[in-house]
Amino acid sequence: MSDPQMVMDESLQRVEPQESAVGERGERLAASSIEMKGLHKRFGNDAVALNGVDLTIRAGEFFTLLGPSGCGKTTLLRILAGLEEADDGTLIIGGKDVTEEPPHRRSVNTVFQSYALFPHLSVRENLAFGLKMRGVGAQEREAKVAEVANLIQLGELVDRRIDQLSGGQRQRIALARALVCEPDVLLLDEPLSALDAGLRSQLQVELLRVQKRLGMTFVFVTHDQQEAMVMSDRIAVLNGGNIQQIGSPREIYETPINVFVARFMGHDNLYAITEREGCRVTTPVGTLELEGGSEGEFVLIRPETLDLKLGHVAGTNHLPGRITERLYRGSHAEYRIAIGATSLQATVNNRGHHLPDVGDEVTLVVSSEDLVTLSE
Amino acid sequence: MKRSIFKKGLRGFWWLTIGFLYLPLIVVMLFSFNASNSAASFTGISLRWYRRLLGNDAILSALSNSLLLAVISSLVALVIGCLIGYGMYRHRHRKLGWLIVLIYLPIVLPDIVFGISEMTFFVKINELTGLLSPGLSTMIIAHVTFQIPFVALIVYSRFVGLDPSLFEAAKDLYATPRQRVQFFMLPTLKPALISAFFLSFTLSLDDFVISFFTSGPESATLPIYIWSAIRKGVTPEINAIATLMMMAVAIAAIASLWLSRRRTVS
Repeated sequence: MSDPQMVMDESLQRVEPQESAVGERGERLAASSIEMKGLHKRFGNDAVALNGVDLTIRAGEFFTLLGPSGCGKTTLLRILAGLEEADDGTLIIGGKDVTEEPPHRRSVNTVFQSYALFPHLSVRENLAFGLKMRGVGAQEREAKVAEVANLIQLGELVDRRIDQLSGGQRQRIALARALVCEPDVLLLDEPLSALDAGLRSQLQVELLRVQKRLGMTFVFVTHDQQEAMVMSDRIAVLNGGNIQQIGSPREIYETPINVFVARFMGHDNLYAITEREGCRVTTPVGTLELEGGSEGEFVLIRPETLDLKLGHVAGTNHLPGRITERLYRGSHAEYRIAIGATSLQATVNNRGHHLPDVGDEVTLVVSSEDLVTLSE
Repeated sequence: MKRSIFKKGLRGFWWLTIGFLYLPLIVVMLFSFNASNSAASFTGISLRWYRRLLGNDAILSALSNSLLLAVISSLVALVIGCLIGYGMYRHRHRKLGWLIVLIYLPIVLPDIVFGISEMTFFVKINELTGLLSPGLSTMIIAHVTFQIPFVALIVYSRFVGLDPSLFEAAKDLYATPRQRVQFFMLPTLKPALISAFFLSFTLSLDDFVISFFTSGPESATLPIYIWSAIRKGVTPEINAIATLMMMAVAIAAIASLWLSRRRTVS
C-alpha cells in the first residue's frame, strides 16, 4: 500500500464528493437512506430466512449486518440488491419504493463474496460494464473508469486479464466496478472473507477510507465481529431471521441486549442470576452489587473491566479465586480464574508491573457501573 | 537394468499404438498421390486422382451435399442445443431426471437404430402428409437431432463451470435481460459455441449410417458416395477423397482450437 499520509492529503483535496456527484447528475442525492418494513422471507416450506425485519439505515452510513451463517444477513442483502424477492414487506431506498423493482432497475450495486468479475473481459471492460449497460457514452465511461482506478489505486492493472490478478487485486476491482456506477447504496457481501489476515486488515482500512470520502451508504455483511466493530457506524446483529440488536459498535459490544449478542460478540463471562435482593444479586461467581434499575436474568463481566489484586481481599464486588491459566499476549495477558465450581476470564494490561502467575491466589475487583445485566 | 527394459517396452508399445492409429491413414494419403491405377504398387507421384475428382460430377455434388448438410445442421443444432443447455443450467436444482436422460439418449443410441427409426418416421409422415420426402431436408432434421445433445452438453458444462454470481453481477450492473445475453452470456459462451459448432460439423460430415437411412436419391453425401463406389472396388480416387476429408476435419479441429483460444490470449 502507498504512503497513508499521501492518501490523507489526496482525500483532503476532494473534500465534497457528494457535491460533485450532485452537480454532475443534479437529479439525485449522493447518499440514500434505506427503509425496510416487515420483510419476510421463507425458503421452501420450513426454512425461515427473515422473520419480519424492520430496519432503517441512514444516508451515508456504514451499516453492518452481523450474525452467524444462516442468520438471514445474506438474504437481507440479496433482497436489497433485488436478487431475492421478499415474500412480504416493503423496501424503500432513497425515498422510492423498490420492493418490486428488478435488480437492473435499482441504483444499488453489490460487491460479491466471490468478486464475480467477468472472466471474458479485461479489468477495464469489467469496470466499465455497469456504465455501458446504462448507456453511458464511451468517453464518459473512460473518464469515470480512470477516476475510480485512481481512487482504488489500481491504475496500473486496468489492461490486465482477470486471471492475472491476485485475490486482493480482484477484491479492489470488484469494489471499483460497483463504485464507478455511483449507486445510491453499495452492498458488500463478506467481501474480505477470502483474503488472508494481513491483506484483510489493510483492505478494511481502504474500504473505510473510500466510504468516508464518497459519503456513500454502505451495507456490509459479515460474520466476523471484530471486522464489524472496526468498520461500522452502526451494527445490526441478526439471529434466526430476527434482528437482535441495533447500535453502534460500542453499544453492541459493551451493552449487549441478550445472551446471544453477548456470546456472539465474544463474551464468555456470563452468569445466571440465582437470587436478587435490591441491587445485590447472587451468581455462581459470588455476590455482586449492581447499579440501580438494572434488570435481566444474566450478568456480564467484561474481562477488561476486571482488576487483579494479589491475595484475598474483602470488599464489595471483590471476588476471590485462583489463577488456573495464563496466556501471555505481550501487550496484555489473559487469565482464567477459578472461583468455586466455575471460572472467569480477566484481561490485564501489561504495564511492566508484576504479572501474577498460574496458581496465585487473587481477588478480582469490578465496579458496579461496569457490570451489564441482560436477558436470555 | 530391468527398469530400462521396461521403459523400452513402454516406448515400443507407444509407437505400436501410434502406428495402428495412423499408418492406415498415411497409406491412404500416400496412395492418393499414386501415379498408377493399382493399389498394389506405388509407381510415382501424381495429382491425376485429384484432377479426376474435380471432373466427377457425382463426387462434386456429394461434396456440396455434405458441406451444405454439415453447415446448416450444425447451425440449427447450435441454436437449439444452446437453448436446451441454458435451460438445463437454469433448472439444474430441480430434479430433471428422465428429461435429462431423454436429451442424452441419442448419444448412446446405436446409429443404426436411430437411422432406421428416423427413416420409418419420415416415411410415415410423408405417406400421411406428402411432406418430408427423403432428401436433404430429412437429413438435416436427422443430423440436428443427433447433434443437439452434444451442443447442449457443451453449453451446459460451460455454464456449470462459471461462478453463479456472475449472472447476478450482470443483473446488478444494470444489464437488461437482452443485454445479459448480448454482453455476458454469448461472449462467455463463445469458446464453447465454437467448439460445439465444429464438433457438430465433424459429426455430420463423418456420419454415414444415419445419413444413409434418411437420404433421398439426389442427396448422397460423400460417405454415401464412397460406400457405393467401394462396392465396385477401392479406386485411388477414393483415397483422394479420403485424404481431402481428413484435411477438412483437421482444419476444422485446428480452427476450432485457434478461435476458442484467440480471445483468452489477446
